[in-house]
Amino acid sequence: MYNVLYITPMKRNTFYVFAGIIALLEVGILWISIDMDNPLPIQIGFVVGIALVYLARRMIVDVIQDERTVLIAQKSALRTLEVFWVVFFLTSISGVIYGFNRPFMVRPHLPPQEPTIGIFGIFGLVQLALLCLMIFLYVGFRIYYARKYGEFDKDEE
Amino acid sequence: MKNKIKVYRAMNDLTQDQLASKLSVTRQTILAIEKGKYDPSLNLAFKIARFFKVTIEEIFTYAEPRE
Repeated sequence: MYNVLYITPMKRNTFYVFAGIIALLEVGILWISIDMDNPLPIQIGFVVGIALVYLARRMIVDVIQDERTVLIAQKSALRTLEVFWVVFFLTSISGVIYGFNRPFMVRPHLPPQEPTIGIFGIFGLVQLALLCLMIFLYVGFRIYYARKYGEFDKDEE
Repeated sequence: MKNKIKVYRAMNDLTQDQLASKLSVTRQTILAIEKGKYDPSLNLAFKIARFFKVTIEEIFTYAEPRE
């Protein structure tokens, strides 16, 4: 695999240098994207950059991951998710309310206005959709790992 | 869980780094186990015992977790 990808096994410090170079390149691509007024270069650049970093991480010869680090990562990811989904949801729902607010019962009715969905509304909707996607993904992973670690196994007796 | 890894490591004249390398774990994991901050999985516990050519009970002793 190394030969196919032309990436040789590397030390941990080499990986950090590599990741730093990728980060610098990303900044350059961001600048180009802003200059071109087009998000496509940074979108592609970011995905490719992250893929390269993940790939390079697998080429590290030093042991950087074991059961303890995995446990730490799992616990911190879960705690982050537990907090972040609430914050994410609040931000999204606030955006939707700002974007779609109309007088209904509490506020007095004003003369009709041209309905507009502001940028906050669109942003809120997109965020809500992403949040739903994240929750589905989380549930999917939960099912996958639960199955993998015997959650649904039945006793033979 | 109490353990005697430090003792066995000293008996075998091994540093934490060397032991970690032999067991394919990080040095911090060996340190955390020695200090009792992390209880290894059964798999790793067996690996450690097998590495020192002793039984698990000779290295690890169960102790009620501190509150």
